[in-house]
Amino acid sequence: MLAKLKTSAKDSAWPLGMTLLLLAAWEAAVRLMHIRSIVLPPPSEVVEVMVSRYDLLLDHLWPSLYLTILGFALSVVGGIIVAVLITYSEIVRKGFYPMIVVSQVIPKVSIAPLFIVWFGTGTMSSLLLAFLIAFFPMTINAAMGFQSVDEDIDKMARTFMGSRWQIFWKIRLPNALPYIFGGMKISITLAIIGVIVSEFVASQQGIGYLIKLAGGLLDTALMLGAITILSIAGLVLYGLIAAAEKRAVYWQAPIDALETRL
Amino acid sequence: MASRRAVSERDRTPVAKVALRLAEVRKVFGTLEAIKSISVEVPDGEFISLLGPSGCGKSTLLMMIAGLTQPTSGELVLAGSPITGPRNDVGVVFQSPVLLPWRSVIDNVLFPIELLRLPRAQYLDRAMGLLKMTKLEDFADALPRQLSGGMRQRASICRALIHDPNTLLMDEPFSALDAITRDDMAVELLRIWQANRKTVIFVTHSIREAAFLSDRVLVMGRRPATIIDEVRIDLPRPRQIGITEEEGFNKYVRHLRKSIEASHVS
Repeated sequence: MLAKLKTSAKDSAWPLGMTLLLLAAWEAAVRLMHIRSIVLPPPSEVVEVMVSRYDLLLDHLWPSLYLTILGFALSVVGGIIVAVLITYSEIVRKGFYPMIVVSQVIPKVSIAPLFIVWFGTGTMSSLLLAFLIAFFPMTINAAMGFQSVDEDIDKMARTFMGSRWQIFWKIRLPNALPYIFGGMKISITLAIIGVIVSEFVASQQGIGYLIKLAGGLLDTALMLGAITILSIAGLVLYGLIAAAEKRAVYWQAPIDALETRL
Repeated sequence: MASRRAVSERDRTPVAKVALRLAEVRKVFGTLEAIKSISVEVPDGEFISLLGPSGCGKSTLLMMIAGLTQPTSGELVLAGSPITGPRNDVGVVFQSPVLLPWRSVIDNVLFPIELLRLPRAQYLDRAMGLLKMTKLEDFADALPRQLSGGMRQRASICRALIHDPNTLLMDEPFSALDAITRDDMAVELLRIWQANRKTVIFVTHSIREAAFLSDRVLVMGRRPATIIDEVRIDLPRPRQIGITEEEGFNKYVRHLRKSIEASHVS
């Protein structure tokens, strides 16, 4: 355990050190070259704004976060359900699946104004856009997971008289878990994009709205502060999923577990 | 030809109950005739090998006995009832161990019990006993990826035996292992068989393996498959790997090799 902590600290030392170095370079460049704060505020000023106006930032962060998580959750549930249908129904697989794939050519961000027309400027549009963007990788990944069961494993289960239902719960679902988590990691970042874009287009609240507003006021430090807090939120969400994955997909842990065991 | 032999076999040992009977089994995939006609009778408790070159249809035959595919024509009867699909008196060992990677060894061994909806608690002791017999008891809670290839295949043999089937079907179970492990596994398998005395149908393309393990070896020719030779291996049991160096054993190996080579020429 201690050794593990040590290696993870060692692994994160490089990127962390590099980030600090870049921030220092940024700070130094802005100060030495007398760049105006409207164009590029130094990191220290961004941090200052984030501290002094944290209530404003948080007020706008929560609705965005809430919609992101909701849209993401819907896309996970919806994606898995559609993936099951793709796996078991020939009509869905042959009829709808190509349609879903082709629909991916449409840049979904471009539909945002249309959603505003249909569902108004409220949260519904943001939620639907987040769901729509996050839904596709979830579906594709889960469907791949359900269908990529080793042929011999399927044969084995059938020789022991496994029913379709048993084969789904005991084989297809656990087999799909690594794929589902892979899809979730893509979907969460896409859900954030969906919410922010729809907040850009039309909204009275949310981090996307705040970024646009600060831009209009030429408050670059606030803008960067909002982007920073959004990035942190995204990182945390991603990290939570990665941590859940590590627990759920324990059999694929890349560590040499035999050595730690024996 | 083969069926006549099988009948005379039964005449010679009238006491042995027939475990498996194949009568003029034929299998055609589209326009490809995989199996022409195979008729065999296997007495209860016999260790029989199907020996032949790759792609000769021996695995297809085994999958028909397992109930996974149906013959185009002919009849397969196991323990007195026709084979119409997978059944609970058969255990199958595949070429690869096909263990579920997310299940511990013991849970993999108990997997058929779950599928057959039998009470798990009642079979736990049996599972541990099987693991002990295959020297895997220390790895009951390990995941498959923590095991070597030979250990995984031993676990899959335990799984095939967990519900105490009368018939064990083995589809080239040792072909993915290295030569040394392979010999060990053959000795191990005989030890398990000696203790349990199942009817074993063992598919292999290794002449030595077939001769070492079997009571009887059926040699299958190239596609479309028929049985071109049948050899009774009259070597004393229990057998140790040492007998493979004896002349008596090598006589059988030479004979089997000649049979297979003859099928190549024709």
